[in-house]
Amino acid sequence: MDISPILKNYKKIVESIGKSSFTHVGDTIYIIVEPNKLRELAEILYWKMNCYHRTCVGVDERPLNGHFALYHIFGDDTNGLHIVVKVYIDPEDPVVPSITDIVPAADWCELEAYDLLGIKFSGRKLYRLVLPPTWPHGVYPLRKETPYNYRPSVKIISGEEIGESHDKAVVPVGPYHPALHEPEYFELYVEGERVVDVKYRGFHVHRGIEKLGESRTTYQQVNFLAERICGICGFEHSVCYALAVEKAAKIDVPERAQYIRSIVLEIERIHSHLLWIGVAAHVLGYDTGFMHIWRIRELVMYIAEKLTGSRKTYGINLIGGVRKDINEEKKKEVIEKLEIVEKDLKKLIDTMVSVPELKKRLTGTGILPKSEARKLSVVGPTARGSGLDRDIRRDLPYAAYSEISFKVPVYSEGDNLARFLVRVEEVFESISIVKQLLDQLPRGDIMAESIEIPERKMGVAAVEAPRGEDVHFIITGRGKPYRWKVRAPTYNNIPALKVMLRDQALADAPLTIASIDPCFSCTDRIVVIKDGRRYKLIPNKGGVVLYG
Amino acid sequence: MGKLGFIKILVIAGEAGRVTRRYPFKPETLVSEDFRGRIEFDETKCIGCGACVNACPPNALELVDKGDGTLLLKYFIGRCIFCWRCIDVCPTGAITGTRDFELATNDVSDLYEVVVHERAECSECGGKYSTIRQKEYVVEAVPITESYIDKCPDCRKNKLLRALERRRGGVYE
Ligand code: SF4
Ligand code: SF4
Repeated sequence: MDISPILKNYKKIVESIGKSSFTHVGDTIYIIVEPNKLRELAEILYWKMNCYHRTCVGVDERPLNGHFALYHIFGDDTNGLHIVVKVYIDPEDPVVPSITDIVPAADWCELEAYDLLGIKFSGRKLYRLVLPPTWPHGVYPLRKETPYNYRPSVKIISGEEIGESHDKAVVPVGPYHPALHEPEYFELYVEGERVVDVKYRGFHVHRGIEKLGESRTTYQQVNFLAERICGICGFEHSVCYALAVEKAAKIDVPERAQYIRSIVLEIERIHSHLLWIGVAAHVLGYDTGFMHIWRIRELVMYIAEKLTGSRKTYGINLIGGVRKDINEEKKKEVIEKLEIVEKDLKKLIDTMVSVPELKKRLTGTGILPKSEARKLSVVGPTARGSGLDRDIRRDLPYAAYSEISFKVPVYSEGDNLARFLVRVEEVFESISIVKQLLDQLPRGDIMAESIEIPERKMGVAAVEAPRGEDVHFIITGRGKPYRWKVRAPTYNNIPALKVMLRDQALADAPLTIASIDPCFSCTDRIVVIKDGRRYKLIPNKGGVVLYG
Repeated sequence: MGKLGFIKILVIAGEAGRVTRRYPFKPETLVSEDFRGRIEFDETKCIGCGACVNACPPNALELVDKGDGTLLLKYFIGRCIFCWRCIDVCPTGAITGTRDFELATNDVSDLYEVVVHERAECSECGGKYSTIRQKEYVVEAVPITESYIDKCPDCRKNKLLRALERRRGGVYE
């Protein structure tokens, strides 16, 4: 078979490291290596080939082939490739080499595999990340023998207020975010007014969604479950899931359906960015701006309801297509309304950025240098504000994004203003994208004719959500996914906060935290913690130490 | 824009005027005609086939066998996500969507809707299966003999196996 030079190059690399296998389907390369070669390959991919690290996925494949497996998913965005590196792991003694010292971005996903599947990683410190401290040891939720409705009888440890000793003054932020109203907890260590260190404890709302999707629901039901991963950008998750399954099952989705997906995805980006711009203004004490941005956003919510039947959690996406068509009348109305949004927003943003206090507080605060951004594989506006030119819509086009033209705004300053401006520009780009798509909307069906999903096929899909790329990984099973892994953008962005907050004025911390537009429910996904209070932090078990 | 450019916000505010509404004191429609709300059952059309139950993502619909010859189709609005998948799959058009979403109540029983079905009785073993309505629906929809449909799935299977055995000259226990 004739393959492109870049694929040949990858093949050569894989062959050079010895015993391994290399296959290539569509935009995805599948590689299987021996565990002792994993680090070598990771180093080449991450640093020599300049791939990003998307996530890693632990899978209990014992019912299939008697092993555990770990999939590291890399992304060569420049060449539009997903690279899936698989290692088989001994079921009796599941140990695999850690790659976090080479690929810092792999830190959390390794811990997640350790928590949920009991896969151990050699050469790194292991501690609990997603499971609550009271979860019984030795029970691994994502192992196939653990029922999805398993409820441990938990003894709640006292909610005694006690942190780890530190010789600096501690300023707790959370467990409820002051601006975004989501549960997470930051501990800022300060010297005078300056932040010198940061600790993050999240995953309070780990809901077990992946396990649910693998056990209770059927393929089409997971679309609706996926949409509920996030309350702001849920449709991206639903589309990403559908794309992954469609890729695995080789389902041909009608063009019109792909256009409608793209249109709704962009509508969601507009409302999400407007929401964030409003919140940022609110954090800065500029509530007038906040109110007016949200006034304009209301029109976008109306458009969403018109197009889908619901302001949020649209519920129009299925594997194989969409459920609601767009007629001429709606097309006209949406374009009219978007023009109003565009005009009003332009005026308002001009006014907002001429507020001197607003500009001053955004400029030069929360800096994330490009090198750190790259090291942590940050995504979305956080990456584009730090000079990383990456956008899945352009790099690995899905839905109908290859049919239209748009700009990807990139700023190199890496401060809060850069992230602010990236989002502002993206809103205007999205408005233009929706108009183009509506204009070119092809005729035809909106649902694939037949949907057959064979077992044990793999699919990786990425979708550029407002906060960065969502990654969904699927192994198909009988009537439902065998394994469904979700990586939300905030998952990659939170570790960057440590860099952004350090050596900054304490007063800027809330803004900087808000500047990555964090979405904690997405990041946490899965099991409820009963008590909102902080537990006694057990060193290296309860308290999560950020990378670095 | 000059140094005082931000004052323009006053002009913007003036143009926008008042956008908040006097909900709920002034009756008005808050949602567009495309909005998906609560669902409603037409009891005369439902046959108790359970297609909606299988499709419903959050388990808002349930089939409950009471054990006294009735089968209940239970809708719990508290779980419903207004996706209307049930409407997509219902073979008889028994479900319609409404635009109703103001469902707050202090009596939880307001949030349940139940369709009661009588189960069919097997002409062979007397056991209960399916529903009478579904049986009637199937007979009308596909050419099928009454003696076949009058048996429960177990008896049908047994009969088939017995017929097979007989043809092969064996005895089916
Ligand atoms: S007839 Fe329609 S409403 Fe009744 S059980 Fe079947 S699918 Fe549900
Ligand atoms: S609208 Fe959706 S959630 Fe509600 S009953 Fe129907 S299928 Fe279930």
